[in-house]
Amino acid sequence: MDRVGGSKKIMMDHVWWRSRRSILFGFALGLCTLLVFAPMWVGDAPGQEEEEEEAGEELAAGFVEGELPAEPTPEQLENGKTVYFSKCVWCHGVEGAGDGPGADRLWPRPRDFRQGTFKVRHTFSGELPLLEDLFQTVTHGLPGSAMPPWTGILDEQKRRDVVSFVAFELMQDRSFTDEEFEYVTELELNTLEPIPTSPESIEQGKAVFDRLRCAECHGQEGRGDGNPFNLKDDWGFPIQPADFHKCWNFRGSRQDAYNVKNIFRTFSTGLNGTPMPSFAENTTIEDRWHLSNFVNALCERDAEGNPLRIDPLTDKPVIKFVIGSGFVEEGGKIPDNPQDPLWEARERSFIGMAGQIIHKTRNFVNKIDNIFVRSLYDNDDIAFLFEWNDRSQSMTPDDVEAFMPEEIPPSGDPAASKVRAYGPFNDSIAIQFPTDWASLTPPEKPRFIHGDEKNSVDLWKWESDGTIKAYTGTGALQPLAERESSSAGLQVVLSEFKDGKWTVMMKRALTPENEGDVQFVPGEYIPTVFFAWEGHNGDYGLKMAISTFYNTILEPPTPASVWWTSIFIGIGIVILEVWVLTGRRNRAQGKVV
Amino acid sequence: MPGFIDGMMPIQLLAELLLIIAIFILGAMILDKKMGIHIPMLLQAVFVFIAGWWYYKYRIDPPLPFSVRAIYQVMISVGIFMWVSSAEKGWIEFKRPIIAVLDAKTPLTWWVRAVLLVVLPLSASGMTYINLAPSLSEPIELRTVHPAPPAAVKVHGKKFPLQTSESPFRIDENGEYSDHVQDAHVMDNPFDPDGIDYMQNVKEGGEIFFQNCHFCHGDNLNGRGLYAFAFNPIPANFTDPGTLAQLQETFVFWRVAKGGPGLPREGFPWASAMPPWEQHLTTEEIWKVILFEYWHTKYPPRTWGEE
Repeated sequence: MDRVGGSKKIMMDHVWWRSRRSILFGFALGLCTLLVFAPMWVGDAPGQEEEEEEAGEELAAGFVEGELPAEPTPEQLENGKTVYFSKCVWCHGVEGAGDGPGADRLWPRPRDFRQGTFKVRHTFSGELPLLEDLFQTVTHGLPGSAMPPWTGILDEQKRRDVVSFVAFELMQDRSFTDEEFEYVTELELNTLEPIPTSPESIEQGKAVFDRLRCAECHGQEGRGDGNPFNLKDDWGFPIQPADFHKCWNFRGSRQDAYNVKNIFRTFSTGLNGTPMPSFAENTTIEDRWHLSNFVNALCERDAEGNPLRIDPLTDKPVIKFVIGSGFVEEGGKIPDNPQDPLWEARERSFIGMAGQIIHKTRNFVNKIDNIFVRSLYDNDDIAFLFEWNDRSQSMTPDDVEAFMPEEIPPSGDPAASKVRAYGPFNDSIAIQFPTDWASLTPPEKPRFIHGDEKNSVDLWKWESDGTIKAYTGTGALQPLAERESSSAGLQVVLSEFKDGKWTVMMKRALTPENEGDVQFVPGEYIPTVFFAWEGHNGDYGLKMAISTFYNTILEPPTPASVWWTSIFIGIGIVILEVWVLTGRRNRAQGKVV
Repeated sequence: MPGFIDGMMPIQLLAELLLIIAIFILGAMILDKKMGIHIPMLLQAVFVFIAGWWYYKYRIDPPLPFSVRAIYQVMISVGIFMWVSSAEKGWIEFKRPIIAVLDAKTPLTWWVRAVLLVVLPLSASGMTYINLAPSLSEPIELRTVHPAPPAAVKVHGKKFPLQTSESPFRIDENGEYSDHVQDAHVMDNPFDPDGIDYMQNVKEGGEIFFQNCHFCHGDNLNGRGLYAFAFNPIPANFTDPGTLAQLQETFVFWRVAKGGPGLPREGFPWASAMPPWEQHLTTEEIWKVILFEYWHTKYPPRTWGEE
């Protein structure tokens, strides 16, 4: 009951607003007028209040009258139903209530279609979406969720049919045919030209971000850490604000992560059913472009400032499975400060992280979907610099036993949000190498989760209580065994939590003598696996985020032979040239050699 | 540039190439015969060489590896030489500018030759350096995707010989085991309460799939699930005719029950993120989820008996 209440209220507000507006004004003013007068309506002066209320009946800047869609044919609905019960029902459920067999293990949860509440739209806040919006969602999927892009799987007609089926059959509380109560006001995104990004524009965008207090939810640096645990959607399920640094996870990114138009749209229309409102009525179009440029500038970029290359098959940044460790010039030391030019010059390796759902306790709701890693080595030591976004700093409290559940409940279960709110465990990060990689014949390795009986691993784990320990792993189902003398050789150079981001640097000698310590040799590929724990997600033990195998390689200095070979090749070409030209001249002079 | 239509890529590529070649020949002919502009043979050859390189590098997605493009380029070069040397007149015309540069009888050719004499050795040295300098490319590891299965597999205390075992749920309307039972039911609604037992089992298999498997194998069983991006090797794509359709149902049963750790060495058991599902599912649940996978992808399992 409570679930439906929220969306009904929105609907009633919306109906009241629309019907009065049509009586008072009609549709006299076009978009141009709106553009001209828009700035007058958004002022804060108290004297304008009355005017503002009346002006509020106007369409918000950038919006125009739209039309409700035509009804689909019975064949379309029938075809759409076939598609739905083959592809969609498994998550969205028989009645479209977002309660299919897969729903309880998903976060974000699948959409409940019955209320007609949809997030990614071109229509004004509270309104039904365009059918085109739903079609684009089906086509491109919702990155960062389990909804995949269906292009290439369902042809265009099937995608349109299934959208019709959802919009005209599964929606219950509202109707696209209800011309008395439903209106469509459409954001005219195609006719609006983005303001090219520039330092000034980004600065103005920051001013909008501050004025509208976006940081209250999205955090000072936009990592979604402002209000991570208290927000709920219309159905009462916990929901977290977007992390602007991972634009490839924006649900509305339409597989075009760095496109500011997507940000402009979300900011203008809001996300129905979530705490994200529309800001169309208290911003100008220019404000919105500046804000979009600002948000887009926060998204991760490479060392040169270019957008990360997005893999079209996964909608995530392209992964390179080699982590180069840079050599600090002869006699130099690894700098302790990550802002040091030596660290800054290193390209960050993007490490994709997935929930560990292989062994119990399985992590279906994974909150750390990537980390960034850099590495440097000098004559004595090797250091790894980890950076990852986490919406909260978590520490295991002393009385953890008192409220620790026997098993972590699945997402969607009200108890699951409770576990997260208590945040009973340490945030942690770990890096793992085969103990004796040099004796293994490639490609053989110890199993990627904590090794196996035959081949053990050396695992270094840092926890947010400040400890770092070295463990020997002999299998996922075996407990990790700490090696205390090895732990003493590990050093936490830096661990800092700031604005939704952990920065942790750990350091160890290249070739220590303790039993079970991995040895580092320049120029060799050393298999490497990463693990991460989000304490507020209830991550503990095997309930964690895991990576696949990467290869760490200590970049050797360029050997002298490379220089000599290159020079010899050049000289060889010169000799060849002389030979050809001499031959040519001799022929011209009639000589025979 | 227009995208490729699903399943039509080879035809589309061929058609495009033919069209480009036709335009090239026609264009050269019109320029030459109608407008009196003759493009030197050498320039034409260089143009074809570069155009070929550009086409294979930028047109095809996912991109071709360098080694494959290099082979294509050698074939293009052979083609170009056959073409320019097919007629005496063309061959002489093709050679003329090269010989002119070698002999350097005019100031222009003298300069061109001088520049080439310096640039060639330098670029050869540079390319050698780039190729020899230590690079950070991934080590190449070749994995057997479908390794040889064992003769029998023991799951939950029961032994299943792979040659003779059958899915207990692949039963048609007449109560008979049938490899093709799904053929008549691919369009059925698994949630129809009046469906036959087979569809009921498909539904239960689907429920298991969408609680356990889709995270990696994807909502359309195409290996593009929510977590797939993080894993290497990537999860199997069941819609590909090279996976389920090529395998006996008992092979799939072995793979599901024993997962990554149950692979032989050539299958890289250390890297596979496939769980040994016997730890999470009952034998019946494993058979049902396999039944669902074959129903959803519309493939019959591979059989060795007579058809």
